[in-house]
Amino acid sequence: MLRYAARRVAAAVLVVFGVTLATFLLMHLEPGDPARAVLGLHATAPAVAALRRQWGLNSSLPVQLGHFLSQLVQGNLGKSYIYNVSAASLIGGRIGQTAALVAVATVFAIIFTVPLSALAASRQNGVADHVVRALSVVGLALPAFWFGIVLIEVFAVRLHLLPVGGEGSGFGGHLESLVLPGLTASFAMAPILVRSLRVGMLEVMDAEFIAVARAKGLGELRVLFGHVARNALVPTVTLLGLNIAYLIGSTVIVEQVFNLNGLGSLLLSSILNRDFPVVQATTLVLGAGVVIVNLATDLLAARLDPRIRLR
Amino acid sequence: MVGRHRVVWADPTTAVAQAPIMKGAVLPTPGQRLVTRRDLLKYGVAGSAVVLLGPLAASSASASARARVSAAARSSNAVKRGGTLRFARSIGPTTLDPANTIIAGDIYTLDKILEPLYVTNPAGQLVPWLATGYEVSTDHRTFTFSLRPGVKFSNGKPLVAEDVVFSINRTRKDAAGPLSFLDYAITDIVARSTDSVVFQLSQPWAPFLSDLSVFANAVLPADFAGQSEKDFLTAPIGTGPFTLDGFTPDANSLTLKANPNYWQAGKPYLDAVEFLYVDNDNQRVLQVQGGQVDIIDTVPPANVSSLKASSGISVDLFPAWQVDLLVMNERLPQFADRHVRRAITYAIDRPALVHAASFGTAKPGGSFFPPSLEYYSASTPVLEYSLSRAKAELAQSKFPNGFSTKLLIDGGVQKWVTFAQIIKAQLQSINIDVDITPLDHSAFESTFQKYDYDMFIDYAINDISDPDEMASFEVDVKNGGSESYWSDYDSPKAITLVHEAEAEYDSTKRAALYAQIQAIVAEDAPFVALDYPPYIYAVSDHVNGFEVNPGGAYRLEDVWLT
Repeated sequence: MLRYAARRVAAAVLVVFGVTLATFLLMHLEPGDPARAVLGLHATAPAVAALRRQWGLNSSLPVQLGHFLSQLVQGNLGKSYIYNVSAASLIGGRIGQTAALVAVATVFAIIFTVPLSALAASRQNGVADHVVRALSVVGLALPAFWFGIVLIEVFAVRLHLLPVGGEGSGFGGHLESLVLPGLTASFAMAPILVRSLRVGMLEVMDAEFIAVARAKGLGELRVLFGHVARNALVPTVTLLGLNIAYLIGSTVIVEQVFNLNGLGSLLLSSILNRDFPVVQATTLVLGAGVVIVNLATDLLAARLDPRIRLR
Repeated sequence: MVGRHRVVWADPTTAVAQAPIMKGAVLPTPGQRLVTRRDLLKYGVAGSAVVLLGPLAASSASASARARVSAAARSSNAVKRGGTLRFARSIGPTTLDPANTIIAGDIYTLDKILEPLYVTNPAGQLVPWLATGYEVSTDHRTFTFSLRPGVKFSNGKPLVAEDVVFSINRTRKDAAGPLSFLDYAITDIVARSTDSVVFQLSQPWAPFLSDLSVFANAVLPADFAGQSEKDFLTAPIGTGPFTLDGFTPDANSLTLKANPNYWQAGKPYLDAVEFLYVDNDNQRVLQVQGGQVDIIDTVPPANVSSLKASSGISVDLFPAWQVDLLVMNERLPQFADRHVRRAITYAIDRPALVHAASFGTAKPGGSFFPPSLEYYSASTPVLEYSLSRAKAELAQSKFPNGFSTKLLIDGGVQKWVTFAQIIKAQLQSINIDVDITPLDHSAFESTFQKYDYDMFIDYAINDISDPDEMASFEVDVKNGGSESYWSDYDSPKAITLVHEAEAEYDSTKRAALYAQIQAIVAEDAPFVALDYPPYIYAVSDHVNGFEVNPGGAYRLEDVWLT
């Protein structure tokens, strides 16, 4: 197990480094000048040139890359051009929001997935099964942002039950403000998970140990959740991990739709402003987040199913 | 067109001037500001009288009861005090340094805290603000301003002439300051006494008062009231109606509190203003519909009709000193050819463009001066849409068979995308084949500023009440700050006229000069004035007294909530 974990961690570090490098190159190849963005339309050419010099943007790309990497190794993520504070402090102020969103979405996804797949699996080809399968196809087909807007229109604008967007104040307000974004994000994941867990459960249901469990006189619910679900879970956990990784990336959209001040919206505004240090630092953190979730998934799957470690 | 949004707007300065605030304040007659344009629209003129007399009528079963309602009582009944205005804007501040920004998110935050000597009212006129007036020498080079008595900073210190000297010197001497060019004619500023300040100019300079009214020339306490510049700018101290405890540049909201020392006695009516930053258009619209905020800015034209249909919300269009332009690169042979530029202008059906892209909110373009701007000339010889004339012009050019070209736009703005598609279709009819290149905002700006473009669409705004800024920026290729909006258009005659207009104090003569400039530009067609869009706000019905001036600024001391 330990050797397996070490191999996965080493691979993860390489992936994060690759993501950072790719971001650096893409940002600098793209036209658009942060000095212009900061100084505005009326700025004179000498003022722009002076700012570019101050930020080291006039040196060659390899020199800039070298400087960036040496700073990075020392744990320095750079300073924002636009806000004039360290990128790390900007990220520190935003990361909680994104983490909370991902956590709420994951909880919602699990809440939807387990009962719905159990219902569908226990009534294979029944009405409930067809309804669940149809819903999951519809859910897959709907873009998340559209679904988010519909939720806002119904629950916030018409019913006034939940806020339209923003973060709310206090713990209660904050939690309230995460309900609709969390639902939106979870609807992007739940359909796949439902379908996967349903198939997994159907396979397990035919197994002899299930017959044994039933023969022992266990209740149907106990059989379903204690024996069937536990054994059908491995592929779903892997899928869940992949989806959380995907979700971290898609927070850019969900945060936009719900006006949440998280890493996704920071990334977007920094790209538009050509705030290079913040873009790099944010992708690094988001990339690391994705890699960590994947790593955790691999390790969890290996724990759930010892055969995985041997592959 | 300018009168489209006539506003019953009482100038607070005249009210205050009539009632010296040192000797106990008298509020301006509440009736003057009570009838807002919104009321007029809602109830009609007769109905507005009911609104005005509402508190009276309610308490007036008998004539004696009516007589007891004094003006003072009416004012306290009419204007409701207190409450927090929740205002969602598309952009928040990154700095509150008036000398170093031209970004809307910065400007419309700091101008609630810091005030200049003059301001532009919602009707677009200059009114004395921290100054009460001025005397000018016969050679128009020495201006002596009297400061308004009784003005205090939010820290309780009185406003003195040294503060003005410090602030405007700071702005004009900052070479990197984006608007320091507006102070270019000032050579010296001296405090003559505590309440009088003298400005020396290098030459007669007609836009001077307008230039002083720009937010960049707002008055700070001298030497930042003893703080470091950095600390001061985090929580500026000013004479404005609101104060700020401090701000974090990337926060998504900011709260301003009423300034208890404000010089307009009894104002602001609000306890606080909460600005929320919501860059997503759809979120802003939904937040005002959901009642989460009271006002939103930058309403997309496409949402206007649905917002109008929402109960409890009205959509306000305020005329703007803004024009949307199709700019052509005269460094390329096609667009150096005057006939080609004229052909393109003739070929673009501006009324159709406005109809399709602005959903009836904007006016079709003509002169490069918007109609709301002073010295706009309605008799400008605009090249109105005519396909036959477009073809005739192109036939006279060096490119009679048409050509292929590229149109650069900021692809993040839906309006520009629609404009570009319509222009592409319309130019097709004179054999000009347009390839649309959408870029994101910063790539877009840096690309056209490097002249790496054929044509681009963008907008120009006049920040001050004098048209000199727009005329210089779009015509004076050498000194206007933008090489004629990066078109490289060079008309020595127009430039000479711009400089003459700057030194001309007679308004009839200035009007004639600007009419000539507009005519030359219309004939030369360096850019096509596509449309004149308004500022669009959605405002909840419980918000009263919200007005925006044509420069885009709004003052909130007159706003109250019911």
